[in-house]
Amino acid sequence: MDTMAAIKQTFFQECEEQLIELESGLLALDGGTSEPDTINAVFRAVHSIKGGAGAFGLEQLVRFAHTYETSLDLVRSGKIAASRSILKTMLTAADTLADLVRSAREDVKADDGEITRMVQQLESACGLGGAHEAPVAAAAAEPDLDFTPIQVSLDDLFGGAGDAKQSYRVRFEPKTGFYSRANEPLVLLREMARLGETQVTCDLAKLPTLAELDPEGAYLAWDVVLETDASESAIRDIFEFVEFDCDISVEKIEGESAFDDDAFARLLSLASSDTQAALPEPVEPVMQKIAAEVQSRNEEAAARKAESAKGFNTAGATIRVDLDRVERLIDLVGELVINQAMLSQRVAEARIARSSALAMGLDDLEQLSREIQDSVMAIRAQPVKPIFQRMSRVVREAADMTGKSVMLQCDGEATEVDKTVIERLTDPLTHMIRNAIDHGIEKPEARLAAGKPETGHIRLAAMHRSGRVVIEISDDGGGINRERVKSAAIAKGLIDPDAQMSDEDIDNLIFLPGFSTASTVADMSGRGVGMDVVKRSIQALGGRITISSTPGKGSAFVMSLPLTLAVLDGMIVSVAEETLIVPLTAIVETLKPSMSDIFHMGGDSRVIRIRDSFVPLIDIGHVLGYRQEMADPSNCVIVLIDLEGQARRALLVDAIQGQRQVVIKSLEANYRRVDGIAAATILGDGRVALILDVDAVVENADGKSNPPSPDPAPLQLEIVE
Amino acid sequence: MSKKLGKPDIVKLAEILDITEAAPLASELLRLRGGEMRIDASKVRKLGGQCLQALLCATATAIQDGAHFEIVHPSDEFTQSIAAYGLDLSHFSSQEHAL
Repeated sequence: MDTMAAIKQTFFQECEEQLIELESGLLALDGGTSEPDTINAVFRAVHSIKGGAGAFGLEQLVRFAHTYETSLDLVRSGKIAASRSILKTMLTAADTLADLVRSAREDVKADDGEITRMVQQLESACGLGGAHEAPVAAAAAEPDLDFTPIQVSLDDLFGGAGDAKQSYRVRFEPKTGFYSRANEPLVLLREMARLGETQVTCDLAKLPTLAELDPEGAYLAWDVVLETDASESAIRDIFEFVEFDCDISVEKIEGESAFDDDAFARLLSLASSDTQAALPEPVEPVMQKIAAEVQSRNEEAAARKAESAKGFNTAGATIRVDLDRVERLIDLVGELVINQAMLSQRVAEARIARSSALAMGLDDLEQLSREIQDSVMAIRAQPVKPIFQRMSRVVREAADMTGKSVMLQCDGEATEVDKTVIERLTDPLTHMIRNAIDHGIEKPEARLAAGKPETGHIRLAAMHRSGRVVIEISDDGGGINRERVKSAAIAKGLIDPDAQMSDEDIDNLIFLPGFSTASTVADMSGRGVGMDVVKRSIQALGGRITISSTPGKGSAFVMSLPLTLAVLDGMIVSVAEETLIVPLTAIVETLKPSMSDIFHMGGDSRVIRIRDSFVPLIDIGHVLGYRQEMADPSNCVIVLIDLEGQARRALLVDAIQGQRQVVIKSLEANYRRVDGIAAATILGDGRVALILDVDAVVENADGKSNPPSPDPAPLQLEIVE
Repeated sequence: MSKKLGKPDIVKLAEILDITEAAPLASELLRLRGGEMRIDASKVRKLGGQCLQALLCATATAIQDGAHFEIVHPSDEFTQSIAAYGLDLSHFSSQEHAL
């Protein structure tokens, strides 16, 4: 990636962060916060996006951000009140801004009509005349809102306000990397000149002779005295993209420019001199007042300096790392864990006493490897907050579209999950939220009639539970209309009209492929995707989804997901001399079958009686093509697995070796996709073990025992060690 | 790319003096070291930091060597750029000893 593209990518990453800031701020304001810091943060987010967009010439984005910023400024300055309707417009504008950022990122032109509509909406909401042009190039030059003028009231003394300008001493010394990343000091110097008046001195002290010069080295440094009304952070912002390639210092020059009024300076010197006593009586109170102002000003300045230093350090406490590097690290740590397991196995095979120094050292190594693995996984873990916030937009849009009033409550936003899991959660969550609003929450009049508040309530919560992340979406709507669901399922031939079903069974019908209670595909929740797809996506993530519903009270969907897709807790089983891993999440129980419980159903089909129910028996070795003959259940072990709803299958395996966490290796990336197999792993003895895709194996088995389906070719797996 | 035109040594600076121009410019200046050097900056539109270093180095070296070095016919962009860098033409003249 070239330097410009890399910088642009960083800009877009930062845009994402600013958009999150923007939305959280607006939501906080909507929730009744009246902290000036919140509206300032909101304003700053839009301002930063505008500034960056200006630098990249993203005109559409700059123009919209400018109008948005102008509107926000009116709220910030208190010229218009942050009413619910204004905040609603601001939130919609945040969505438009996010769309524009996305368009800019994907390098496509955003819909002008949509932007114009939003601009008009903002202008009419805030009473803007539309006469505010956004000069793209000057975007970065505008004063930053971080600046809070120091409150030294001189009005009483001199009858007018003092100049709020402040002087800073800025030194920056580029390193070699500065130039190799296509940066130029001139650009930074000119950016500083835009903030105010500058006096630039070029430091030539490190300049070598021509013979010693490395043409691509860095020898010059610059000292700049900048007098500006912009804040220190606005100055630091200039160096934002080069802070690692430069030595930078920004120091406030205390007591210079803001004290440049001659009269004030004279008074000040008088106040601090011994001549004070000689002054005529009436001046004394004035002197004291100035001295007190100076004192408080110094204290404030010191406090601000400490605060800003704190902010700068905090920003420096995080680094951006290319995801590829993290993934390589995770991969390597996976290798380390496998290697450590192999070593342990060798030691065990060598029959070395567990109390020996070697075995104990190995235990320590195992502990250390696990800790390293956990820490490395934590690098990729991210809070669910961004995805939850995206859902607030989904709620707004869905509520607008259906004419319902809905409030989203998010809990546990700081819960961290692996990035790969988070990325794949957006679609299922979006669909479930839309579903909850479309089918769950009632119309306002129906809610009022049912004695509920007019505004529907959706709660999105995340929490860690037993090494997994649980995400719950609940609403206070009408709950599942079981009569309607059942009749729809019967009409579609999904269930037998006489089927006796529990409430839970009926609720789970909504996860069946092809099920939809809507007579037409609704504009929102429909979109051709059913809850079966949601369930499949969650299952593909190694997760499970359950539903509970109370008529008139609402429904709740609970998803339990793995924290990471890099490791998996599995049961190691032997099948026809092969070693396979069955994901632990699917397993309900294991048991040794008794022949009296096995019944033949014709063809290859067999069922096993487990307590009061009959469960189809699946011979894994036969389904995967490891053996032609069906295994004798009396020599095998049954692994009972849970499928959708109450559906279960009994997997027949030869033996259970144990249970452990395995490192997932993609079979697709290293070999090719194999039906019935989700991935592979390497065991302690160095052998490759395949991880079962339980659902696919069951589908395969059901296909085999189902006469109308064509005879599938047996899976031929050859794993080379 | 800078180009040598004749004697006294006149180095005609390229329009864009960015990082790619720094090494050729430095070697050209080194090659002509010790002689009477006039640097024609009439075409310069952009003066990058590393070419600036090379020119300043050459000036300092010329002063050390007792040789002649000066910038001639600076373009407006060149003059504005060096001013923005906190410098003036005297910094590029062996006669004015600004260094």
